Amino acid sequence: MIQTVAWITSLIFMSFVVIVFGIVALKSKEKRDYEPIKKKWYKARTFYGSVLVIFMLAVTIYTLRDLPYNQPVYGEGSEPTVVDVEAFQFGWNISETEFSAGEPIEFKVTAADVTHGFGIYDEDMNLIAQTQAMPEYTNTVYITFDEPGTYEILCMEYCGLAHHLMIEEIVVK
Amino acid sequence: MELTAKSRNSLVAMYLSVGGLIILAMMIFGILMLMAQGGMLDLSPAAFYQFLTIHGTGMVGAAAFAAAGVMWYFLSKEVKLSKKIFKLNAVLFLVGVVMVIIGVFSFEYASAWTFLYPLPAISANAWGITGALLYLFGMLILGIGFLLLYIDTGRAIIKKQGSLAKGLGWDVISGKKEEKDAPTPTIVASTMVTIVNITALTAGAIVLIMNIINVINPAFTFDPLLAKNLTFAFGHIFANSIIYMAVIAVYEILSKYTKRPWKANKPFLIAWNMSTVFTLLIYTHHMLMDSVMPTWMLIMGQVLSYANGLPVLIITAYGALMIVYKSGIKWDMASGLIYISMFGWVVGVVPAIIDATIVVNQVMHNTKWVPGHFHLYMALGACAMLFGFMYYLAKEDSAIRTNAFDKFGLFGYTIAILALGGSFLVSGALSTPRRWATHFPDWMAPANFGAVAGALAAIALTIYIIHFVRYMMMRNKQDKDVEKISA
Repeated sequence: MIQTVAWITSLIFMSFVVIVFGIVALKSKEKRDYEPIKKKWYKARTFYGSVLVIFMLAVTIYTLRDLPYNQPVYGEGSEPTVVDVEAFQFGWNISETEFSAGEPIEFKVTAADVTHGFGIYDEDMNLIAQTQAMPEYTNTVYITFDEPGTYEILCMEYCGLAHHLMIEEIVVK
Repeated sequence: MELTAKSRNSLVAMYLSVGGLIILAMMIFGILMLMAQGGMLDLSPAAFYQFLTIHGTGMVGAAAFAAAGVMWYFLSKEVKLSKKIFKLNAVLFLVGVVMVIIGVFSFEYASAWTFLYPLPAISANAWGITGALLYLFGMLILGIGFLLLYIDTGRAIIKKQGSLAKGLGWDVISGKKEEKDAPTPTIVASTMVTIVNITALTAGAIVLIMNIINVINPAFTFDPLLAKNLTFAFGHIFANSIIYMAVIAVYEILSKYTKRPWKANKPFLIAWNMSTVFTLLIYTHHMLMDSVMPTWMLIMGQVLSYANGLPVLIITAYGALMIVYKSGIKWDMASGLIYISMFGWVVGVVPAIIDATIVVNQVMHNTKWVPGHFHLYMALGACAMLFGFMYYLAKEDSAIRTNAFDKFGLFGYTIAILALGGSFLVSGALSTPRRWATHFPDWMAPANFGAVAGALAAIALTIYIIHFVRYMMMRNKQDKDVEKISA
């Protein structure tokens, strides 16, 4: 699950930051001449900076390979089910709410009044996909539900006083 | 008007005390919201979303106001700034704040700080035209004050350096000028902030005016996607600029405390030029879930958000660590908070960069992960810089001493914000949506934990403010004593 990966990755890097700042604070009481420190650590910075840039480039390339904006390549005879979604204050008009597991679906999402957010939650209430629901524009969510169950649609963009009540169910058999 | 050290300190102390007090009040709204989400407090949705609106608007406004005070304090020692404009900004800020407060609490306006078009005009009858106009005009007036201030800083920098490009050290980077003649870090940071904030405030003014016309005459409509771009260009840049103003205190205070120079060299100047460009462009990472945006802009949102981490990770934070390392620094409240602020900045950058990754954003966007990263970055980064500066100014300008309460405040604040930020990140990992008046039972525990952490942070900030108020009183008393002696 992406959320777990994000959380663990954050914890690892944040712990590293704690350790580095902690060590420097502990070493701050000693007093040494600044010039040799500068010389040594400027050199180290070149290495550290290069490693960081290469690491970020690698992560960028890896994570940009497959974007949620791109229509998947569907197999022959496997046409997607196109579902029209219109958000309004404070509810959802969804043209179809029952699907089959493994069925490719394209949610075409727009809004009748103000900006809303179309978030799909699985049975364990994990957010699995989302897009913005905007007036005058249509955003698309490409998704194939692998597991049967009852999924919930929650509003993910603040849209007024009953924003938190914009909940709808869809069923995957 | 001649600017003396005394009048500079008085004006800047006023900026910091107003900013600090508003931040404290906004913290209380934040705690109440978390308590409501955690089920500890029964708050109506209307009240919750009004608190949400005032909390977001007030926090960014107050922190920006205080940070402008920090920047003005150091910059006015190097260039000739207008005291009149500095005062005018304070007046317009207070007028704007009063209008926003009346709009929100008397007329129940609750669009959140994002006021995403056309929400100010289409509220499902939750608020009317008056509330919307008070809020939008209040923001506009407040923005005009800041705009005048940055036009003045830009004017003064151009007068001293020759151009804003030279303020960013282009002549040094290109080799026309030697490194030893590079502009100071204060000038470089102030130039960057001047450029990005004039852009942000212009974008903000445009979208505010278009919303105002739409509220008055709903027949006037405009493109919601354009409005969203303008809103986030304004909000992202302006909120980001707070740390770039406040970091001037880090450069100045750490170098003074360690007796080590922090001078602008080529890598430093290149880093600040990168920050200028990236800060202007990366607001699109707020729109990664708008697939109708050109894909290249969204990819740019991710790539440049990653790149924007580099100047701080390789130059500023690394520089802070280097200057403190084996320096024999004397730790006190000012140096302690300033050091913690650099830690807060870096620690907040980590979840921010992760969230800017498009595939992650698809399941993290508008969850509580987002306030998780910016509470670390803003509260433990930018605000700790402001509070560190408050202690520095009090020490420089009076004989006031700190006590055990202040020390408790330093440790309490650090632990509190780490706990608060952590609770938001856990909520985000649990897919809890942000800006929800109520939570499902599974989402409540982190909210309650965050409320307790928030209360500890508010106690710590109260200690800081008491110290600062004591300093201001001591200062007034000193002035009165001097007057008596001269009489």
